[in-house]
Amino acid sequence: MMALYVALAVGAVMFGIGLYGTLSQTNLVMIMMGVEVMLGGALVNLVAFWRFLHPTAYPGQTFFLIIMTVMALDMAVGFGVGTARFRSRGSVESEEARELKG
Amino acid sequence: MTLAALTILGPLAAAALILLVRRGAPALALLGTGTALFGALFTLVRVAGGGRYSATLPGLPDLPLGLVVEPLTAVLAVFVSVVSFFVMVYAVGYTAEEDRVRFFAGMAFFAAAMQALVIAGDWVLLLAAWEVMGFLSFLLIGFYYERPGVGAAATRAFLYTRTADLGLYVAVFVLISRSGTSDISRTLDVGGPAAVAAGLLLLLAAAGKSAQTPLQGWLQGAMAGPTPVSALLHSATLVAAGAILLIRTSPLLPSTVLLVVGTLGGVTALVSGLIAVAEGDLKRLLAASTSSQYGFMLLAVGAGSPIAATVHLIAHAAMKSSLFLGAGVFQRARGSTAFADLRGAGRERRWTFAGFALAGLALAGVPPLAGFFSKDAILAAVFASPYVWLLAPLALAGTFLTAVYVGRALGLLWRGGPGKGPGKEAGEGPGPVAGAGWMGAGLAALAALAATLGLAVGPLAGLLGEEIPEDLLIAGLGIVLALGGLPLGWFVPAGRLLGPLHGPAERGFRFGGGFDGLVARPVMAAAYALDTLDRSIHAVVLGVGRASLAVADASRVADERGIDGLIRALVRGTRDLGGRARTLQSGLVHKELLLAAVGGAVMLAFLAVGVVVGL
Repeated sequence: MMALYVALAVGAVMFGIGLYGTLSQTNLVMIMMGVEVMLGGALVNLVAFWRFLHPTAYPGQTFFLIIMTVMALDMAVGFGVGTARFRSRGSVESEEARELKG
Repeated sequence: MTLAALTILGPLAAAALILLVRRGAPALALLGTGTALFGALFTLVRVAGGGRYSATLPGLPDLPLGLVVEPLTAVLAVFVSVVSFFVMVYAVGYTAEEDRVRFFAGMAFFAAAMQALVIAGDWVLLLAAWEVMGFLSFLLIGFYYERPGVGAAATRAFLYTRTADLGLYVAVFVLISRSGTSDISRTLDVGGPAAVAAGLLLLLAAAGKSAQTPLQGWLQGAMAGPTPVSALLHSATLVAAGAILLIRTSPLLPSTVLLVVGTLGGVTALVSGLIAVAEGDLKRLLAASTSSQYGFMLLAVGAGSPIAATVHLIAHAAMKSSLFLGAGVFQRARGSTAFADLRGAGRERRWTFAGFALAGLALAGVPPLAGFFSKDAILAAVFASPYVWLLAPLALAGTFLTAVYVGRALGLLWRGGPGKGPGKEAGEGPGPVAGAGWMGAGLAALAALAATLGLAVGPLAGLLGEEIPEDLLIAGLGIVLALGGLPLGWFVPAGRLLGPLHGPAERGFRFGGGFDGLVARPVMAAAYALDTLDRSIHAVVLGVGRASLAVADASRVADERGIDGLIRALVRGTRDLGGRARTLQSGLVHKELLLAAVGGAVMLAFLAVGVVVGL
C-alpha cells in the first residue's frame, strides 16, 4: 500500500503547485499552466485509486480519458481567449483585464 | 282599529301631501280632516255602548305605543274632527289671500297631533303629540311673522306652555317609574303621595296649556295668529288638550288635588271673566273667555264630575269656534278686531251677527242652547261636591261674568254707526269680503251645532255610560244670572261696571311681574346658568382635545425617531453591505480565482470536519 500513498502524495504536491501557480501568476498563459498542473495532480490521484484499489473496473480509465479530453478543450478555449485578447489589447496580463468588474 | 287610526293618519297624510305637492292645499286639507271625521264617526258607532278597542304599536323597548278607543276618547275624537273640519271649511275663505301651503299644512298637522293626543293609549305617544302641538302652535300663532309683535307673541306662547310642560314630563316620569308601564289606563291606580305629586304636576301642565291663572297671559297674545288658528286652538285643540288631560286622568287624582284643581279653575273663571269684561278687543275678549270657560271645566273636574267637564268641553268647542269664526268675518270686513273699529259691524252683517249672537247666548247659558245644559251640569256638580262652600261662589260669579261679557260684546258690535273698513270710506254700506261663502258655511255649521248640541246631551251621557248631574233649582239660578248679566253688559260701560278693578283687569291682572316675572326671568336665569355650565363643559372638551393632540404629537415624534429611524438604519445597512459586496466584484481574474480557492477550501474543511465527527 505504500505505492498508493506515494502516488497520492505526488498528486497532492502537483495540485498544490498548480494552485499556487494559478493564484500567483498574472499572465494568462502561466495561469493556464497552473490549471493544467492542478488537473494533472487530480489525474494522478484518479489513476492511483484505479490501479491500487479497483484494478479490474474500467470506468476509472474512462473517467481519465474524459478528463484528458476536457483538458485539451480547456487549453483550446484558453488559448483562443488569450490570442483574441492579445490581438485586441496587446497584452495577456490578467491585472489589466477589468471589464468584468461589477 | 284602522278606522281610529284614520283620524290621525288622514290629516297627517294631508299635511305631508300639501308640503310635497304645494298646490290644492285647501282641498287636500279638507280631504284629510274629512277622512278623520269619517274615521272618528265610525269608530264612535263601533264603541257605542261601552266597547273598548286598543292597539299596540312598536315603540320604545318596554314602552310600546298604544292607541285606545273607548266611548270617551271616541266622542272627543269626533268633536275634534268636526270642529277642525268646519274650521278648515271656513279657512278656505279666510285665507284667500294668504300663503295657503304653510297655513293648511300646519293646520292639518295640528289636527292630526290633537287626534293622536285624544286617542293615545300610552304616555309616550301622548307626550309626543303634546310636544308636536306646542311646536305647531308656535308656528301658527307666528303665521304673520313679518308683522311687528307677532314673533314675540308666538315665542311667549311657546315659552309659557313649554314651562308648564315640564310638569307633564315629571308627572309622566313619576307615573311610569311607580307603575312600571306607560299604559295610561294602568298608571291611573297609583295611589299615595305619588298620585298627589303626579296630579299636581299634571295640573301644572294642564294650566299652562289651558291658560289658567296665573299662566293665562299667553292666550291673549296668541290672538296675533290668523283667526281660524285661534278658533281651532281655543275650541278643540291646544287649549282643550289641558282639560282633556285632566279629564282622562281624573281617576288618578286624590281629593286634595281635586280641591286644588277646582279652586284653580274657579279662580280662573273669575279672573279671566273680569279680564274679558274689561277687554277692548273682540278677539282678546274671546281669548279671556276661553280661559274662563276652561276654568269651568277644571271646576267640574275638581267637583268630581269629569263628565260635566266633557260635556262643557264639547259644547264650548262648538260655541267658541263659531264665535271666533264670526269675529274673523268682522275682522275681514273692518280690518281690525278692536271694539273701537268694530262698532256697528254686527248691524252691517246681520247673518254673521246672528250666528255670533247665537253662539254667544249659548255661551252665556241661555236655554235651550248648548251652553245652558253644559253649564247647568257643571253648576249641579259643584253644588253636589264636598267643597261647595268654596267652589260654588266662584262658579256662580264666573257664570254671571260670562253673561256680562257676552252682553258687552254683542252690544258693542250692534250699536254705533257704520265704521271704516279696508278700501272703503265711512258711511258706505257693507263691502264685499273675499271668501265670504266658505266662511259663512263654516260659521253656519258650527253655530248650528252650538245651538242644538243641547239635544245631544242625553244620548251622550248614555254613550259614555255615566249620569250627567242635573238640578232644576240650580238651573233656574243659572238662568237668572245669565239673563241678569246680559243686559248689564249690553247697557252699562265696562269702566263703571268694574269700578276700581277695571284698570288691573284691562292689563290682565299681571301680578308677579306677569310674563317677565313668572316665565322669562327664571328661564333666562336658568339659561345663563346652563350657559355657564356649557362653557365649562366646552372648556373641558377643549382640554381633552388639546391633550389628545399632544399625545398624537408625541407618538408622531416617536414614530419618526423610532420606527422610521429603524427602517432607515436597516436601509442604510443593506446599502452599505451591498456596497461592500460590490467591491468583491473587482473583475480581476486572479482575485476571483482566489475566492474560488478559498471557497473550495472552506467546503473541504466542512467535509473533513464532517468525516472526523462521523456524520
